[in-house]
Amino acid sequence: MIKFENVTKVYNKTVRAIDDISFNVKGGEIVGFIGPNGSGKTTTMKLLTGIIKADVGKITVNGFNIRRNPIKAKESIGYIADSPDMFLRLKGIEFLDLIGDIYHVPTEKRRERIEKFASRFDLNDSLSAPIMSYSHGMRQKIMVIAALLHNPPVWILDEPMVGLDPKSAYELKQMMREHANEGNAVFFSTHVLEVAEKLCDRVIIIKKGHLLFDGTLEKLESENKNGSLEEIFLELTEK
Amino acid sequence: MSIYFKLVKALIASVEPTSEEKKYKKIFYRIMGIIAVFGIMLPMAFLVGIIIYVLTTQLLKIGSGQNAAEMFLQIVSVFSFVFGLNVIFNIFYFSGDIENLLPLPLKPYQIIGSKFTAALISESIMEFIIIIAVFAGYIIAAGLPFYTWLIAVFGMITLPILPLSYCAVICMLVMLVTSFIKNKDTVNKITGFLTFIIILGLALIVSRSGGIDTDHLVTALADPNNLLLSILNLIFPHIHFIVNSMISNTAINLLYYIGINALAIAIFMIIAQAIYFDTAAGVSKSLVSKTKSLQKSVSSVKGHNPCVSYLKKEFRILFRTPAYFMNCILINLIWPLFLYLIYVLQGKTNFLDSFIYGIHNGNEENVLIFILGVSAVSVLVTAANSIASSSFTREGNHFAFVKYIPLSYISQINIKALISIIISGTGMIIYVIAASLYLNIGIKLMIFCCIISLISVTFVSYFGIFMDSVNPKLIWDSELNALRGNYNIFFNMATAILLEAITCAGAYLAFKFTDIGSLIIIIILFIFLMMLTAGSYLLCRFKAVSNIDKLSI
Repeated sequence: MIKFENVTKVYNKTVRAIDDISFNVKGGEIVGFIGPNGSGKTTTMKLLTGIIKADVGKITVNGFNIRRNPIKAKESIGYIADSPDMFLRLKGIEFLDLIGDIYHVPTEKRRERIEKFASRFDLNDSLSAPIMSYSHGMRQKIMVIAALLHNPPVWILDEPMVGLDPKSAYELKQMMREHANEGNAVFFSTHVLEVAEKLCDRVIIIKKGHLLFDGTLEKLESENKNGSLEEIFLELTEK
Repeated sequence: MSIYFKLVKALIASVEPTSEEKKYKKIFYRIMGIIAVFGIMLPMAFLVGIIIYVLTTQLLKIGSGQNAAEMFLQIVSVFSFVFGLNVIFNIFYFSGDIENLLPLPLKPYQIIGSKFTAALISESIMEFIIIIAVFAGYIIAAGLPFYTWLIAVFGMITLPILPLSYCAVICMLVMLVTSFIKNKDTVNKITGFLTFIIILGLALIVSRSGGIDTDHLVTALADPNNLLLSILNLIFPHIHFIVNSMISNTAINLLYYIGINALAIAIFMIIAQAIYFDTAAGVSKSLVSKTKSLQKSVSSVKGHNPCVSYLKKEFRILFRTPAYFMNCILINLIWPLFLYLIYVLQGKTNFLDSFIYGIHNGNEENVLIFILGVSAVSVLVTAANSIASSSFTREGNHFAFVKYIPLSYISQINIKALISIIISGTGMIIYVIAASLYLNIGIKLMIFCCIISLISVTFVSYFGIFMDSVNPKLIWDSELNALRGNYNIFFNMATAILLEAITCAGAYLAFKFTDIGSLIIIIILFIFLMMLTAGSYLLCRFKAVSNIDKLSI
């Protein structure tokens, strides 16, 4: 579903944010993207979604090249950005309707999905209020619903758990698992190692734009027999 | 005191583009800066200086040398007050930094003082240039000694203090008396309408005073019973003292001037100390709205074409955001008042009446001037409302949305242009129809003028979007800051005005000094405007799309 081949991104001709990275994410997989601050996680997410251009390399989403066929590739993606402070003057329902139109979701399907997701996230009566009046967590929930509204084959989430209460975080993890079980790819970045440990089929660890590890947690533990995931992560990223 | 200076520095930095943004298009900014300074700012300052010089030379003969400078500076103060009201309101109560400043162990006067100073510096650059031009015209005409230039520089920086102090006090009092209104966006919009009413009121006062007889302007300015001058002297007494301080041999006038400004600052600081915290607390969190059940909300969901939906989103944001509503929408209602003021100010010269009489009688020159006027006003209004030239800037920190949604960049650009064309064009067409009916120019010419207006609006809309795509100002902490200190808006206005001025001047000079008939000139003008529009569209189609694609955020 996601093919990231020998991608390099250089900012201001000097900072190599991503340096010759390659990885794949298959359908039915949940892949966690882990790395310290400034390691290149958000840059990778932005490259995948077409927000920024790679200097070198090829990115394919659901079989569509993000540069050559951007509209088709973007239609395949559900993306949650690192900040949910978006379109604060719109009402929650207006924002979801806009997303439904842009991603061509039929009206009946749209209504059905909004009702289902809003109920799961306890947003029932808030949808008619402006997003500006929402708490950070509520804004994050609206973004999650928007990213799932068109049932995308590829779900890309940048730090999705930030600001969510325990119940909503649990619901989101369930949704990610359900979405992957339907044959879709889920790729998300996180700082919370426990989430990665419990949820991911595979993890990718990145540091200063370089890929340090790509594999299952079992493989990671067998290669590094020194304690918990947290300890392995610290050892890998602080070398 | 060091806290105050650090706060001022931080607040000014939040309005100016970041050094990264400046570096990004250094050459572009340099070229645009040269166009703005040499094409608009300096010619305007020079014109003001010349007017004051000529009037002062005449007034000196009848012993009222300072009146022209006084009158002009008072008009500058009126504009400073009218446009400062909305700015001060937003800076004091609706900027994003309030949530960060209120929890700090700062006194109200420290916050307000620094915000006021930052507003004074960042808002008054054009005003500073006009003020120094007025003083220059006056000093040169009156042959005043060198030290008066020092007073002029001091006056340039301090003159807007009094009008902005009025704004500050009014804003705080409005917030105090409207504390029962929970939705502060409503208060913000009410202040916008208040500004509109003040301008309307000023227009009425001027019209009742019978206007200024431009034919006998010198006599009118020398008249001690001039109602307008008397009222303005009462509202802005400091101007009389600073102008007088240049010709008197004592420092008493300058001391009065300093005293008035110090008193104004002291009064608004005392008020700030007493009520600012109470009125500012909770403002940014006070947005409340009625909620509906999930079923009711969901039933309102209806499928639309993506472009229609995107267009609705743009409309909603423009109309619901007070800063955008005030600066992008309401301005379309205000400018006809300025035209009305010009009409009133014609006084007994009746130059507009003779112009109108000429149009009624099919005078070719007057008809051509009317068409050129329609095109020029359309360009000016579209550039001034900045709907197009802030298209990408308004997206701010969610600009990524433009890039990751499956909607082509050119479709989004066309929608953004359409918003500007609809809002600017609708207003223009209404006024063109009203003016055409009043001038009785006939249905064919009226339709032609509407078409010319729409073409001019379309040209500036696409051109504005292109200008914004070069380097959109995406980092801002309040919506007003997206528009304030935004070079793209200013440069777009400067370039569009310059292009339009060349077009209109070319057309008029061709009519005046060649044998080409007015009809041919009008046809050439139409073709030229179409070419400008096509050119600005192509700039967007290729260059703006590429700019957006390349933009790393």
